[in-house]
Amino acid sequence: MLSLRLARGAHPLVLLRRLLVAAAAAGVGFLLLCTLGYAVAHPKSTGESLVRLMWCAVPLAAVVQFALAVARTDPATRPRDGLDAIGLGPVRLSLLAAASTALSCSFGSGVALLVYLELRGDLGGTPLSGSASGLLDGNAPLPWAATLTLLGLLPVLAAGTCALALRPRAGAARAARAAKQPADAAQDPADVPAAPVVPTPPPAPKPSYTGLPWGITIITVGLAMEAYVARGPAPDPDTLLALPGSDGASPGVIGGWLLASLGLVLAGPGLTHWCGVLLAAGRPGAVRLLAGRILQDAATRIGRPLGVLCAVASASLAAAELYGAAWEADGSRPFGPLTGLGAGLVMSCVTATAITAALDSRQSRTGTTTALNRLGIPHSLLRGAAVLRTGVLLAVLTPLTWAIAELAALPMTR
Amino acid sequence: MVAPPDNDVLWARGLHYAYSGSPALAGVSLGVREGEILAVTGPRGSGKSTLLKCLSGQLVPHPGEVWFNSAPVHTLSRSARERLRRERFGWIDSEPHLVPELSAWENAALPLLLRGIGHRAARRTAGEWLERLDVGDCARKRPGALLMAQRQRVAIARALTTEPTVIFADEPTAPLHNADRAQVLRTLTTAARSHQITVVVAGPDDEIATLADRAVTLVDGRRTSGVPVPDASEGEGRAACSVSA
Repeated sequence: MLSLRLARGAHPLVLLRRLLVAAAAAGVGFLLLCTLGYAVAHPKSTGESLVRLMWCAVPLAAVVQFALAVARTDPATRPRDGLDAIGLGPVRLSLLAAASTALSCSFGSGVALLVYLELRGDLGGTPLSGSASGLLDGNAPLPWAATLTLLGLLPVLAAGTCALALRPRAGAARAARAAKQPADAAQDPADVPAAPVVPTPPPAPKPSYTGLPWGITIITVGLAMEAYVARGPAPDPDTLLALPGSDGASPGVIGGWLLASLGLVLAGPGLTHWCGVLLAAGRPGAVRLLAGRILQDAATRIGRPLGVLCAVASASLAAAELYGAAWEADGSRPFGPLTGLGAGLVMSCVTATAITAALDSRQSRTGTTTALNRLGIPHSLLRGAAVLRTGVLLAVLTPLTWAIAELAALPMTR
Repeated sequence: MVAPPDNDVLWARGLHYAYSGSPALAGVSLGVREGEILAVTGPRGSGKSTLLKCLSGQLVPHPGEVWFNSAPVHTLSRSARERLRRERFGWIDSEPHLVPELSAWENAALPLLLRGIGHRAARRTAGEWLERLDVGDCARKRPGALLMAQRQRVAIARALTTEPTVIFADEPTAPLHNADRAQVLRTLTTAARSHQITVVVAGPDDEIATLADRAVTLVDGRRTSGVPVPDASEGEGRAACSVSA
């Protein structure tokens, strides 16, 4: 109830983000329902149904990541002083965030069910009814228990991830307490000056660039594995539709792709950090110094979504390189409409996550921005720093993504 | 419009300010002479911070006039006021409000870099001020790794590095213990006197008034000559409570 009440008073932009989560959830629900419909209509081809279900995991993961980013940015579920004082602290608020995420995802799943049934022609009443009956295997009845299980998967996963990821950490609490130490001691009336306590500053947090060597290693291993395994002829586009190498021709190819993507995700924070170091190198002026140091500090926050974005972009580029030729040569279409829906869903979710993460890092810097404004630093300077950061990230990550995509596609286009 | 007296570096007349309806200042007039240290005292909620913000051009009084060096501040545009703050004023807050991404010396050197002073010169000046404020050994640390007293000293160094005409200090000792309080205040006033910097410092008690040349007391957004302190040593509500017990 409280999450609904807080959502009612929220800013339109926040509501828009929630709606986007619901829309993405609707897309994933629709894909899952299509998989179920196919499996029910073709009880013989278990393997292909399983492959379709496994491919649904990619959009599912993308939507869960997006839902988590939105929940993290949501101002309603941010710890607030007043709410903490009445006992609605960070722990309860993380549960609240999980509840509102589950709410948006369930709403999206419900919409997906309605649209699916309508397109199959089970509901009737509108001109669209039954328009995709052939594609969605409209003649086979849908088992309700399986439907509800599949549709409940996303809300449960997203809410669980939110509750786990947003719960207050012991390390963060300790650091906050250490930072507040002098003020707390001053306010404690029962503070007896028995032993002189030497105040110690909090320990330095773990640097964000530790994943970079691992990321580079895993990318290299993935690319090498792909090149080693895919020495056969270029696979047939028809078999590639379901899963590259699903016929046993080169199962290592998909593994190599996955490893290269994982490596990019791991390397994201480190790359962002070193971009910041590069930006503030030498004898920087105020703009370069601020831009570089802010980028270094926000490396963890925006580096991981950026890594995921790069991984998805390089996979899309490689796929376009591989299948683009097959598309144009003869009228055969390697992608069906559902593959297109899934790919579009993944790309938009990942892009939206990166944008949300950038917004989140801007929100977390509000204190700094007010302090800088008090010093008389103009907004144009801060905007210039933001533009500089974006430019450097683009300049470093775009060629990298392109190079990895080319390398990933190379063994199969030879 | 009356021209301000010549020897006042800052001069304000009839300042009124309300935060979306709630009045904070109700007709404050004052003049600050060049090189003097002026204390603004008064209890919490008496409008000290608002007065300092109006004087430094962060807020525009409505109605009211603020003049700096015989030029009006209240009629300037926002960007011109930002430039004034950047080039002529320094600001010390009750919280250090350092940029967490920058190290201590970079924080202190930031106003210099913003003025376009070279990296090396800015670094040297910031280092000297940090040394003078006893935080020279923390110059390379980030604010997160510093203690509150050290952070507040870095904030004071940041205000002093540019050697501004006027420094506004809004309860600069609020987060500190007694031992640190006295020392921080003394360093600030000594540095200001040696560099002929005018200081307007706000604080809740008399500890600031002893170090200042002159004190102005605010109560409920107005200037008063003396504060009528209610004699509450007996406990005003105690008799009433004992009746009901």
